[in-house]
Amino acid sequence: MISKQTPLRTLRGQRHTACGFSRAFSSSTGTLRSEDKVTVHFINRDGEKITTEGKIGDSLLDVVVNKNLDIDGFGACEGTLACSTCHLIFDENIFKQLDPVTDEEMDMLDLAYGLTETSRLGCQICLSKSMNGMTVSVPEGVADVRQAADMGLTPS
Amino acid sequence: MSIFTNILQNSCRKTLLLEPESFHMLCNVANFHRLPKLSSQAPAAEEKVLPEMLMQPQARPKEGRVKSLKEMPGPKTFTNLVEFFWRDGFSRIHEIQQQHTKQYGKIFKSHFGPQFVVSIADKDMVAQVLRAESEAPQRANMESWKEYRDLRGRATGLISAEGQDWLKMRSVLRQKIMKPKDVAVFSSDVNAVVTDLIKRIHSLRSQAADGKTVNNINDLYFKYAMEGVASILYEARLGCLQSEIPQQSLEYIAALHLMFSMFKTTMYAGAIPKWLRIIIPKPWIEFCNSWDGLFKFSQIHVDKKLSEIQAQLDAGEEVEGGLLTHLLVSKEMTVEEIYANMTEMLLAGVDTTSFTLSWSSYLLARHPQVQQAVYDEVVRNLGRYQAPIAEDISQLPLIRGVVKETLRLFPVLPGNGRVMHEDMVVGGYLIPKGTQLALCHYSTSYEDECFPAALEFRPERWVRKDNMDRVDNFGSIPFGYGIRSCIGKRVAELELHLALVQMLQNFRIDVSPHSKPVHAKTHGLLSPAAPINLRFVDRE
Ligand code: HEM
Ligand code: FES
Repeated sequence: MISKQTPLRTLRGQRHTACGFSRAFSSSTGTLRSEDKVTVHFINRDGEKITTEGKIGDSLLDVVVNKNLDIDGFGACEGTLACSTCHLIFDENIFKQLDPVTDEEMDMLDLAYGLTETSRLGCQICLSKSMNGMTVSVPEGVADVRQAADMGLTPS
Repeated sequence: MSIFTNILQNSCRKTLLLEPESFHMLCNVANFHRLPKLSSQAPAAEEKVLPEMLMQPQARPKEGRVKSLKEMPGPKTFTNLVEFFWRDGFSRIHEIQQQHTKQYGKIFKSHFGPQFVVSIADKDMVAQVLRAESEAPQRANMESWKEYRDLRGRATGLISAEGQDWLKMRSVLRQKIMKPKDVAVFSSDVNAVVTDLIKRIHSLRSQAADGKTVNNINDLYFKYAMEGVASILYEARLGCLQSEIPQQSLEYIAALHLMFSMFKTTMYAGAIPKWLRIIIPKPWIEFCNSWDGLFKFSQIHVDKKLSEIQAQLDAGEEVEGGLLTHLLVSKEMTVEEIYANMTEMLLAGVDTTSFTLSWSSYLLARHPQVQQAVYDEVVRNLGRYQAPIAEDISQLPLIRGVVKETLRLFPVLPGNGRVMHEDMVVGGYLIPKGTQLALCHYSTSYEDECFPAALEFRPERWVRKDNMDRVDNFGSIPFGYGIRSCIGKRVAELELHLALVQMLQNFRIDVSPHSKPVHAKTHGLLSPAAPINLRFVDRE
C-alpha cells in the first residue's frame, strides 16, 4: 500500500494559508532571527492586555494558535472563512495598511458580532514588519452579553 | 431530497401510523421554521460602530422575566395535522413557515407527533443561536442513517457523523475544499464541465421545434452539477453530459433519484419503528437499497483512484493529484471514512446546485433588464469569449449578486435544524438543552426589514458601494453559518459563477413563450413545482 515516505506533491488542493507566500518564505530561512518577528498586543474581552510575538508572514490566527492565547472561541473554523470568530478590531492607521479585503472575507464580516469600521478577520491578516507593536482588540463575546442578560433571570 | 429531513423523523412516528402517505412532508416541517435574536454589544468607546450593524439588545425579555416553553405560542397539534394532511401543507412548508410566523410570532412551538420543535423566524435570534454553538454542533437526530451504516459496517460521513467523529473529519476536509484559494484552483476542471454544458445546450435546443428551447432545464443542470462536483471530489469525469451516459453513471443517477424522489420512502424508513418493519418492510428495504447504490458508486471511484496511485507508486512515479488523491495518500481518514464522505458530499452537492442554477436562469429570463446589466458587466470585464476563472469573479459583483439573490428568494434549504447543546434564553424564553430548533431561513429571507422590496429580484442589492459597505445579512444565510455550515459552499459558488458567466456569454436566456410562472414547492429541498422551460438565443 501507500507508504508514508512517498514523495507527494499535490498540485491541486494543496494547502494554502491566507499568508501562503510569506510563510513559505519565512520558514525557508531556517531558524528565525529576531527581525523576522513582530510584537503584537491583543486586548482580550475582559480588557486584559496580552503581549506576544509572531513570525512575519503568519496570520493572526496562527499567532493565537501557536502561542496558545486564551481567547475564548477564537478561530473556530481554522481559517476557512466559515465562522468570523477570529474577528479583530484594528487601530485606524494599521487598518488602512492592511492587505485588501476579499469578497469572501467581507461576506463573513457581515456576520461578525459587534462589527466596527476597523474590523477584519484575523485569519486573513498576515503579519508584516510595519505591524510591529500594533494593538488589536477582541470584540466583546456573544457569551459575555448572554451571561449578563441571563443574570438574575430565572424561569418562573 | 433533503439531507436534513431527519430532524423530525422521530416526531413523525406517531403521525406516520395515522397517515403514511404524507408522512415524509411532516419531517421537513421542522426544517422550515425560524429563530431568535441576538444580543447587542456595547462597543468600546473609541470604536466607531456602524449603526446599522447594531442589533437591538434583546435576549432579555421586556418584562424582565424569562418565560417557560409552556407560555410559548404555537399551532395546536390537531390544527397542524389538518394543515398538513387535509390541506396538503407539505409542499407548502416554506409558506406555512411564513404563515405561522405571522400568526404566532417569531418564535413558536409545534408538536409533530412525539417530536417537539421550537421554530425561530428572526434573524437576530438565528444569529444568537448559531454564534453560541458548541465545538460540534448537531443538526438533528440521524438515527436511521447511522443504523444503515452500522448494519453494513460503513462509516458515517460529515452529514451523519456527530461529536468528535464529525470534528475530526471536518478538520481534514475543510482544509481542502473550503478556503476560497484552495477551491479557485479547480477553475479549469469546472470550466471543462461548463464547456460540455454549453455544447449540450446547443445539441438539445437543436432538437426543439424552434431550435432554441430546452425543456425542463433542471434535468440538464442536474447532470452539470453531478459532473462538476464529481470532477472535484473524484478527480474524474462521469460522462453525464454526453448524449450516451455510461452505464455506471446511469446506475448512480438511478440510486440518487431513488434517494431523492422517494425520500418519502426514506423518511418512512427512518420513522417506522423497528418492530413494525416486519409488517411494513418496504420503506426500510428501499432506504437501504438506495444507500447501497450511492455507496457502491463512490466505492468504485475511490477504489479506482487507489489502484491508480498504487500503480504510480509501483512504477516509482511521484503521486500527484487533487482532493481524493490527497485523502488517500495522507491517510488522515480511513478508506471507509473516505467512502462515506465522498458518498455524502456527492449526495449533498448535486440537487442543491442544480436547483440554484435552475432558479437563477429562470429569474434572469424573467428579468431581461437585469440579465442585460449582468451581461454588460461580464462583457465589460471579460469580453465575450474569455472563459472566467475564480479570480475574475471579484470583478463581477453582479454575478455574485445573482447567486445570492437567487438563494435569498429560493433558499434550497428553506429551513435548517439545530439541537440545543445547553440551556439558553432566546426571544425571552428559556429553551432547555436538547430541544430541537428549526431555523426558518425562508421567512427571514422575505422580510422587508432585512431586504426592502423583499419580493423583488434585485441582484444589485448585494453589490457593495465600497469595501467598507457592510450589510447585516443574517436574514439570508443559504449555506448556514459557522463550523457546521455547508462544506461545499465555495465549490458550489465556483460551479454556479463559472456556469452563469459562460451561459450569458453564449446566450440570451428567455422564458419559453408558452410556459406559465413556475412556483416553488418543498420536496425535501425547495424545488421548482413545474418544469422550467427556457429558450437559449444566440448572442449576435
Ligand atoms: C447551492 C448549493 C448548496 C447549498 C445552498 C447548500 C446548503 C447547505 C446547507 C444550508 C447546509 C447545512 C449547514 C448548517 O447546518 O449550518 C449544508 C450542509 C452540507 N453541504 Fe451543502 N449546499 C450546497 C452545495 C453543496 C455542495 C456542492 C456540496 C459538496 C461538496 C455540499 C456538501 C455539504 C455537506 C457535506 C454538508 C454537511 C456539512 C456538515 O455537517 O459538516 N453542499 N449545505
Ligand atoms: S477562523 Fe473562521 S473565519 Fe477566520
